[in-house]
Amino acid sequence: MPTNPGAHGEDGATNNKTSMTSNQASGPAASQPTDAKPTDTKPSDVKPADAKPSAAASTDETLNAHVKGGSGSVAGGAGKKNGGKRHWIWLLVAAVVVVALVFVFVVVRKPKSQEAQGRQADTVTIGLKLAPTNLDIRNQSGSALDQVLVGNVYEGIVTRDSNNKVIPSIAKSWEKSADGMSYTFHLNQGMVFSNGDKLDAHDVAWSIEELVKRGYHDAESMQNFKSATALDANTVRIDLTAPYANLLWTLTGRPGLVFDQKAQYDPKTQAVGSGPYTIAKFTPNDSITLKANPKYQGANKAKTKTVVLRYFGDDNAAVNALKSGDVQVLAPVTENLAEPFEKDSEHFTVSAGDDTDKYVLAMNSKGDKTGDKRVREAIRYGINHKELIASRGGADKPMGGPISSLDPGYQDLTGLYPYNQAKAKALMKEAGYTPDHPLELRLTYANTYGTELGDQLRSQLKAIGIDLKVNVVEFSTWLQDVYNNKDYDLSLVDHNESHDFSQWVNTMYYYNYDNAQVRDFYNKAMAASTDKERDGYLAQAAKQVSRDAPADWLFNYRITTAMRKGVKGFPLNLNQTLLPLYGVTYTQVGK
Amino acid sequence: MRFVIQRFLLFVAALLAISVVIFAALRVLPGDVATVMAGLNSPPGRVARLRAQMGLDKPFVAQYGDWMGGLLHGDFGKSLLTGRSITSTVAMRASITFPLIALGLVVALVVGLSLGVAATLATRPAARSCFHFFGIVGGSIPALWGGLLLILLFSKGTGLIGIFPSQGFPEGGWHDFGGALASLVLPALTVGIIDGASLMRYTRSALGDLLSSGYLDQAMACGYTRRQAVLKVGLRLAMPQLVSVVGLMFAGMVTGVMVIENLFALPGIGSGLVTDLGNRDLIAVQSELFMLAAFFLAVGFVVDVLHRLLDPRLKSSLEGGR
Repeated sequence: MPTNPGAHGEDGATNNKTSMTSNQASGPAASQPTDAKPTDTKPSDVKPADAKPSAAASTDETLNAHVKGGSGSVAGGAGKKNGGKRHWIWLLVAAVVVVALVFVFVVVRKPKSQEAQGRQADTVTIGLKLAPTNLDIRNQSGSALDQVLVGNVYEGIVTRDSNNKVIPSIAKSWEKSADGMSYTFHLNQGMVFSNGDKLDAHDVAWSIEELVKRGYHDAESMQNFKSATALDANTVRIDLTAPYANLLWTLTGRPGLVFDQKAQYDPKTQAVGSGPYTIAKFTPNDSITLKANPKYQGANKAKTKTVVLRYFGDDNAAVNALKSGDVQVLAPVTENLAEPFEKDSEHFTVSAGDDTDKYVLAMNSKGDKTGDKRVREAIRYGINHKELIASRGGADKPMGGPISSLDPGYQDLTGLYPYNQAKAKALMKEAGYTPDHPLELRLTYANTYGTELGDQLRSQLKAIGIDLKVNVVEFSTWLQDVYNNKDYDLSLVDHNESHDFSQWVNTMYYYNYDNAQVRDFYNKAMAASTDKERDGYLAQAAKQVSRDAPADWLFNYRITTAMRKGVKGFPLNLNQTLLPLYGVTYTQVGK
Repeated sequence: MRFVIQRFLLFVAALLAISVVIFAALRVLPGDVATVMAGLNSPPGRVARLRAQMGLDKPFVAQYGDWMGGLLHGDFGKSLLTGRSITSTVAMRASITFPLIALGLVVALVVGLSLGVAATLATRPAARSCFHFFGIVGGSIPALWGGLLLILLFSKGTGLIGIFPSQGFPEGGWHDFGGALASLVLPALTVGIIDGASLMRYTRSALGDLLSSGYLDQAMACGYTRRQAVLKVGLRLAMPQLVSVVGLMFAGMVTGVMVIENLFALPGIGSGLVTDLGNRDLIAVQSELFMLAAFFLAVGFVVDVLHRLLDPRLKSSLEGGR
């Protein structure tokens, strides 16, 4: 397809006599003069004397010049009758109509959910980041699902508060036996599921038994589980084969959720729970609409009729939505993009909350190059955590070990490997590498974390003699290569789970970390009869892990939440894994 | 008629070949949906159990057979992750993507044809240069960048002149007709202006060829003005070419809007495909790709037949030697 328009004179005529026998595919057959015969015009600008019969049409220049002269001079005047002109006018009219229609719809249309000032809104829309792909909380992994469903649609036997402490939910109280082998829960009365079925101890016992028997998601965290029994309609007892100090906290997550054993529904697309909200509409990867559950009998009755959760993969899109009023809350907001909201304190509040996210830079403990502890230690000394945190906006907290500040066993370990380039270089030299003869390492991580962290680590580690090849891949590819096949040097993941220290005692885990002493501390912690004893052992275990440098903990990610003035009751801490929405309200203030 | 039957058989054969290619290509990707579902911290047994539940442990030939068997009954299967029927999911996504493409096409046609004709008729060198500049620049702007530019200019809440929403699709879908249409304006403009610039170049070059070939001289000799000759005769003669170009453009838009949908957070076919592929929901991906391929081929088939109808020299072959 030629893109160069044929050169032709101002009058459009050419002297190319061969053109009449042209065989271009686009041209009409030369034997079809009727195609080019005008049928409906009597151009007023052509004098009858000049109008030759069409059969004698020619490319005679004088004729064409004459005809053109006519058109040129009357194009404006006679244009009203001119077909070309009409085309233009129609096109213009069509364009104007389209634009006008759109304007009417956009500008004149009443903005949706425009609440009268000072009255509490019926709908609150919340912008989130990671979307659940389905609602099957028993099989589908991902904290996005816990965030939406736990405490809102499904309730657990117990739950946690915003400081990560266990509090009552379906059970109003509980006691632990002296030997730590059984827990007895006393349930609230008169509870029902959203479909009207009664909820009693049998549902609770059945849900926990099913979890373990069928190996649903997170079943493995119910360590030492023996049985769950309904003693009567309002009492459930869980028996263990050995003490397990994390049992209560474990029951605040998926293992403690209570399902209706009689209900028939597709768990991927529907949910029947006992929480203050029900799922009204679910568009995978886009939005979830929650409606207040009219049958809810508990203490956490929904204060807002409808809550819409919208998911934004793109950070800029999310910020636009908050600015334009499409959402009233954004959690998380990328801290570097939160500045306009911080400045506009008349309309917005921006706050950071604590969470248990740990950005773990794992170093393959059995890797060819990273198996050398000196290299791993050098990397830990060579990373400037302050710089990383500052570049992300400054809200995150440094952490020197595997336990975050909201979890049991936390202690500040940032002093173990402080930023020290000289020490890092010395260790690398000892291992046989210098900035002139660097060690080549691969850093593999999922594209959900963006490219900036990889770039920063590459430039920081270059200074100590490491040539880092950053390999940003799809999450599925990361799962295959790093997580399943352990084919990596360095990897980066946000491990956001709470109470997840068990990763470090699992020798099959992708860290390839194996330390018998750490396993011993952990087992003692889990068998401890008091929280204090448990926390002491966990702290020792964490310290040992940090010393061995199987990973560097880049920072403890803190969630920055931005919301419109007038939003109340939105949790700030832990809101990426646990987001109780029953107390959230929005009352429009100001313009 | 024979031509139509031949083309149709070719269409079916191509579809079969494509189904094999799609199925095989996706099996080469690392990772699988069971691992994604199980996530981190899952015991190895769970992944195996999920694989068995979803039939991922069957041999590839059996999996392909299951899929094709379903296709022949018009059943595209169920998404492994969302548990929804793929047909209804695609229909839901298509209700966003196709109106977007249609709007984009309208914009492209208005921009491309009108400017193409204007560029052909332009006589002043300055005007010609302007059109030439638009054709080159408009056609070479990356869609993502063009979209961002429009967001900066017209997005509600952030743009200089905030009039159109730039993120997402209204909760009520097309029931909220105004909102739905408004949310497609900026993406459609992005697609339309960029493709319109290409269409303008094609139009100008097709009309230019005609001008230099003498057919329009003939028309002018019959009393048309140059403008009338271009509009009434030239456009009609250039139509077969332009139909082919617009057909290809239409098909190209289906893939082109993937980027646009992600940028404007529209839950259409493009953004859905990206998500499903990321999650390795292969049954969904292969069915979606198959539908897209079928659509491409169908457009090609229709364009071929139309081309013959519009081009008198080829028309006789349609009429099968009447």
